[in-house]
Amino acid sequence: MNQGRIVNNLLAALPRRRYERLLARLEPVVLKFGDVLYRPRAAIRHVYFPTGSMVSLLSPVEGHQSLEVGLVGREGMLGVPLALGVAVSPVRALVQGAGNALRMKSAQFLGELRRNAELHRAVNRYTYDLMVQVTQTAACNRFHQVEARLARWLLMTRDRLGANQFRLTQEMLGDMLGVLRVAVTNAAGGLQRGKLIRYSRGEITILDAKALEAVACSCYQIVKIPSARA
Amino acid sequence: MQAMSTRGSFAPASLAPKDNRLLAALPGESYQALLPHLEWVALPLGLPVVESGGTQGYIYFPTNSIVSLLYVLADGASAEIAVVGNEGVVGIALFMGGETTPSRAVVQSAGHGYRLKGDVLKKEFEAGGVLQHLLLRYTQALITQMAQTAVCNRHHAVEQQLCRWLLLSLDRLSGNELVMTQELIANMLGVRREGVTEAAGKLQAAGLIHYSRGHITVLDRAKLEARVCECYAVVKKEYDRLLPDAAFTAVRGRAQS
Repeated sequence: MNQGRIVNNLLAALPRRRYERLLARLEPVVLKFGDVLYRPRAAIRHVYFPTGSMVSLLSPVEGHQSLEVGLVGREGMLGVPLALGVAVSPVRALVQGAGNALRMKSAQFLGELRRNAELHRAVNRYTYDLMVQVTQTAACNRFHQVEARLARWLLMTRDRLGANQFRLTQEMLGDMLGVLRVAVTNAAGGLQRGKLIRYSRGEITILDAKALEAVACSCYQIVKIPSARA
Repeated sequence: MQAMSTRGSFAPASLAPKDNRLLAALPGESYQALLPHLEWVALPLGLPVVESGGTQGYIYFPTNSIVSLLYVLADGASAEIAVVGNEGVVGIALFMGGETTPSRAVVQSAGHGYRLKGDVLKKEFEAGGVLQHLLLRYTQALITQMAQTAVCNRHHAVEQQLCRWLLLSLDRLSGNELVMTQELIANMLGVRREGVTEAAGKLQAAGLIHYSRGHITVLDRAKLEARVCECYAVVKKEYDRLLPDAAFTAVRGRAQS
């Protein structure tokens, strides 16, 4: 692994020695599209730091499709409840963007947290950012049009994945935005006709990020990750 | 409007710091360390405890009041994402290290609480121990409530949302009466007032609540629980599991004071 390169923003923000110590203890894994990392009310076995992958946090709802409440990529980590003293996950964590991540067993991570106050502070700060994201997503889903939400979601995904192209099914997008599949199809069709994106055979490519930003609601600016800020 | 500080004066015995369950769960030493810094404050209806976009100097522990956390969008639209009462604390950005907060915190049910200067809280939090443990677990419970509110807003009817909101509020109050206008409820739920009027009318007709001149009295809690969506139980279970037990802390609180 190239340690000079920023692989995960949360880890990279740590002081160099802390960072290297952690890196040496993390196990590289490849997350596959559709993998479920956590299930609601089940034990968290590993924490994950995505380096080139993206994971969606979904809240289950009886009788409805589950709803995305957060997105995690290279800016953050999965397994936040552990740092808050809770060993089970409240959400389903579903791999949306296949790719690389680093992981560590929960018990070992708790040991690192105890030993490393800087890591604990960084995780707390990230947890707060995630709460901001959950709040903003709720507000956005409530009040904004599907097209603006779709544009926001595509940009958030690009930033967290670090890629302009990713795999996606329209059913999944329905879950992400909490709307019916047909509404997603219509909105995606509009963006495609405007040549902002290309959608074909389950792959989405962002063609014009600037124009997409103009379509997205202002929520995107609030949940932008630092490295993606202009 | 400012929170009225009454530091130095005695709060009525019924409003001791230990009426907040987090403060009540602190062991003697940590509690004693905070006690000289705790200020008793009145929290009148509508008081903005934390403004969105602003930084905050205090953290608030409600005792008999309820604070609503509202998200506010650029276009002014807003709705509630969580409520905080005597089980929790307002201003978690302070100890989690958030720079600013995008949500507003506004008093939804008037009462009192205790506040603590940010730097005092931070110092105690950084020292680790029970206070840190309690605040972090509370944060996890709050995240669950936020996610569940998002789900409820998206998928459930106004009537169910109203039931959830009433039950969550009742759990944080001692009586069965809420002082609340339909307009405020509409703002909390992020729906039109007509929607709230209709839903409240149905609950009243079924004998679950009585609504009159800004007062809501819950008449039949069991029926309210039967009508509410799963969201209420999800949040309540998680709070019961993660937060100090109310009965336990009450006993401990009395033993220590």
